[in-house]
Amino acid sequence: MLQAKHLKILLLAWTRLGLPSPLRPICDPRVLDRFIKEARDTEFAMRSCSEGCSLAEPLSVPLTSVDFAIWEKGDVSEPQKQAQEVQSGLWLLAQAISAVRVSITSTALHSLLDNSHSNIHSIGQVIRSLNFPEYTPPADGTVHEDTWRVSSTLELFRVHTNFLRGKVRLLLSHAPACRRDST
Amino acid sequence: MMNVAATEMLCWNAASLLVAVEPEDPKCFAEGMRDLTCFWEEEGSRSPDDYAFTYMYQETNEESSKCALTAQSVGGSKTRYICRLPSVQHFVPLDVSVFQDGRLIYNRNLLIDHVFLLDPPANVTVTQTGEQEQLRVCWLPPALMDMENSMMYEVEYAPTGSHMGKRESVRARSEIILHSLQPDTRYNIRVRAKPDGLSYSGYWTAWAPWVSMTTPPAEMDLLILALCVVISLILILLSLTLLLSYRRFLLKKVWPVIPSPENKFDGLFSVYGGNFHEWLGVGNRGFWWSPTFLLVEESPSPLEVLSEAGFTAPVPVHPMPFKALGLSKKEVEEDERTGGQDSVLMGRRKGKAHPHWVLEQLQSLDQPSVPCCELHTLEPSDTYVSLNYRSQQDSGAMSPLADISEESLPLQVLFESPGTPTSFSDLESVTYSSGSGEISSQSSLEYPYGAWPLKGPSYISMTVTDSGISTDYSHMSWGTTGLGDLAMAYTNEYKNKVPAPRLPPHGHTVYSYY
Repeated sequence: MLQAKHLKILLLAWTRLGLPSPLRPICDPRVLDRFIKEARDTEFAMRSCSEGCSLAEPLSVPLTSVDFAIWEKGDVSEPQKQAQEVQSGLWLLAQAISAVRVSITSTALHSLLDNSHSNIHSIGQVIRSLNFPEYTPPADGTVHEDTWRVSSTLELFRVHTNFLRGKVRLLLSHAPACRRDST
Repeated sequence: MMNVAATEMLCWNAASLLVAVEPEDPKCFAEGMRDLTCFWEEEGSRSPDDYAFTYMYQETNEESSKCALTAQSVGGSKTRYICRLPSVQHFVPLDVSVFQDGRLIYNRNLLIDHVFLLDPPANVTVTQTGEQEQLRVCWLPPALMDMENSMMYEVEYAPTGSHMGKRESVRARSEIILHSLQPDTRYNIRVRAKPDGLSYSGYWTAWAPWVSMTTPPAEMDLLILALCVVISLILILLSLTLLLSYRRFLLKKVWPVIPSPENKFDGLFSVYGGNFHEWLGVGNRGFWWSPTFLLVEESPSPLEVLSEAGFTAPVPVHPMPFKALGLSKKEVEEDERTGGQDSVLMGRRKGKAHPHWVLEQLQSLDQPSVPCCELHTLEPSDTYVSLNYRSQQDSGAMSPLADISEESLPLQVLFESPGTPTSFSDLESVTYSSGSGEISSQSSLEYPYGAWPLKGPSYISMTVTDSGISTDYSHMSWGTTGLGDLAMAYTNEYKNKVPAPRLPPHGHTVYSYY
């Protein structure tokens, strides 16, 4: 937790400086591993959620499935598309978490939800540091990519974890900016 | 009909691993990034067509797909049914259902990226690091994409022949250095792998084959060597100190001192060389008076004996050793029996006792039989010198002698004719003429002979004998005592000449008579 917060402060500092020069790529896999771990903890915590964990209306969440056969192809031919997909998915998740936070009453879960939300924001920063084109969320709130609907917080955070473990991680680990550094 | 493809026979050791670990059915595992194998085992040997294997991913609205099953006989009575999915999707829940004759028997929801069962690490190599008690183990990580940073490994090592193996875990690195190993020992090492559980998860791989390597031999640490040397030196010093401080005690124990009677017999060993007889003859101890004649001879000093009455001429007395007198003991006895005034027998004497000798001379004056010396016999009417022990009474040292009765006293020369005065002083001077100096102290010779006790005619002249051994005669003993007394007296006179008053006059001539 502490490490993530420090990282967030760093990222925020960098972004607020608004330096024209590109951010230094964050290629350390341990950064994302930290976020993944926290997402898993949140998912486990949601299993014991008793009140307010059922959503009134389903929430849109990104698809998490990764077919490596397809992914490897897409990684080579359309890397930007993958980045777009990831960023839009993160945005969707952030939206969903914000919506869930309203309905959940437990304060302990609130802190977890806040943490997850800030983590998503930090991941966005990391992605931006890797020279991916910036993502502009859609104005109407719908995304082009395929989405899925969840109806419970448990499902939501399960998706959240899977998304981070899968697509986000693959994107970051195969980012061209990092690949160039780690030859 | 059972179709068992060759490819489906792969790694059934892995399958048996899974059977032990995974409780749920069907058991599914992924060997790579693009496959999934599920199986279950059933008793009997039913056809796989009796079963239906369906699966569905969560995020799709499609209907579940069906998987083609194959069957394998296991362990004689069992049958294993296997499904291999053609394509898989990760990071998304998969719902699997198994139907037997249309009836659901198994259902499971799993994430394929959580059921990895990979091949064991390859190319496990063990090398020495160049340092003590260490070995380096290297292996190849799995060649799967994206898996290299997500693996954890377990290394098991044990000395050859030992069953107590130790395990070490390592994450994300494909080498490890083992520490604290026994030196110069052959170790067996093997490695297995497993996804670390963060992004990917799965089961432990099978163990890689054993690899052996020997640890380097132990070197003697210099510090330990120095410490050992110092400690041994200290111990040696301590033992030496102990030995030295107790050496006398130890010597006594190891080499006991032979007791010596030296301290009881003064001068026996130092002066007389252990000759007990001679030592006795000195008169120092006088336990037995008898062996006086055994004592070392002293050359007698010449003495001229003169007699006023009946002495025709001064009789020069030549100094000669006592034994030259050649008087035998027997003669002494004869004289005594005869009551002999004329007897003087010089027994064989080797002792010193000048007074003995003098007396002998005197008493043998009437014995012409002595060939070697010119003794003048004394006529009965001659005056004799009587050396009475009583003169000794003046000196306290003679107190033991005081106990002796007069009759047992030393020699007494009786005056046959009391009327014939004998010039004692002459005699004295005679006695001392050989010597030098004057008489000054109390001596029996100073007595006027009138004071000499006359014991009666029965008293015989003194006989000097080598008595102690031979005879029990009272006379003899008397004689002996007389001798002693005479000796004492004589020595007393001589002693008077000695300026230094070392001993009381009779001090060292005290005999204890028995």
